[in-house]
Amino acid sequence: MNLLYKSYFFASYQCDHSRSFYIDFGHKQIKLSFCQLLAIRQKLQAIDISSHFDMDLNSGGIEILSLCNREHLFVFDTLQVIDLKQLIKATFGILELNSLVAH
Amino acid sequence: MKDIVRQKIGINVDVMDLLNEQIAKEAHSSSVYLAMASWCDHNGFSYSAEFFYKQSAEEREHMLKIFKFINENGGTAYSPQVSNISHEYNSLQDIFETALDQEIQISKSINNIVTKCRKVQDYGSESFLQWFIQEQMEEENQFRRILEMFDLMGTDGLALKFIDERIKHD
Ligand SMILES: [Fe+2]
Ligand SMILES: [Fe+2]
Repeated sequence: MNLLYKSYFFASYQCDHSRSFYIDFGHKQIKLSFCQLLAIRQKLQAIDISSHFDMDLNSGGIEILSLCNREHLFVFDTLQVIDLKQLIKATFGILELNSLVAH
Repeated sequence: MKDIVRQKIGINVDVMDLLNEQIAKEAHSSSVYLAMASWCDHNGFSYSAEFFYKQSAEEREHMLKIFKFINENGGTAYSPQVSNISHEYNSLQDIFETALDQEIQISKSINNIVTKCRKVQDYGSESFLQWFIQEQMEEENQFRRILEMFDLMGTDGLALKFIDERIKHD
């Protein structure tokens, strides 16, 4: 397994053998197809982090995220969401870089 | 490390994002044209109403074209949410002007995606978008020609009836 990126709370990996990806959430590691990785990316992009600093919009400062067709359910606080956004962004950056050097 | 991403998806991921945004824009256009059809129907411009029903269906086709392109190439297309559809217009001329402005915005948006395609060397998506560039030029021109009729004929009742009749043949 190749480490793609390690953020403060999380880490992402690529597994060449199974042609899939892994995200280590600390307490559990989940395996993702590329499609599922795209879905996570979409969900995180859709989260407006500024709402976490608005008492009316998101008073709890919490995001509930279901992943892989509701197979996994996560509850993240503000810091974790920021960290996860960073992880996914950087992961796709590394993947793009890898595309460039691979060809 | 293998390039798994490239094995799975034939288009650039950032281009895919822009194409998904374009899906939402086409869906929005489709709904706007539907609102315009409704206005025309209520105000006695039945040929213009028919014209906008057809426009609305065309925009939905554009949306589907992009939707399928993304999915066929290993990406994920997202079903769009449509909001902010106005049903209030001052006049028939106002409707056609708004329609032209909308088409111009769509043209700019398509051009913007093509620019991105070139930047990241996604030539597949660029070639897919060529059809849209052509289509936008035709649509813009169509509305331009209709607006010219208002310049020529004026906007009194009889002129409007005449213009509505002419739109049947467009
Ligand atoms: Fe369109
Ligand atoms: Fe159009």
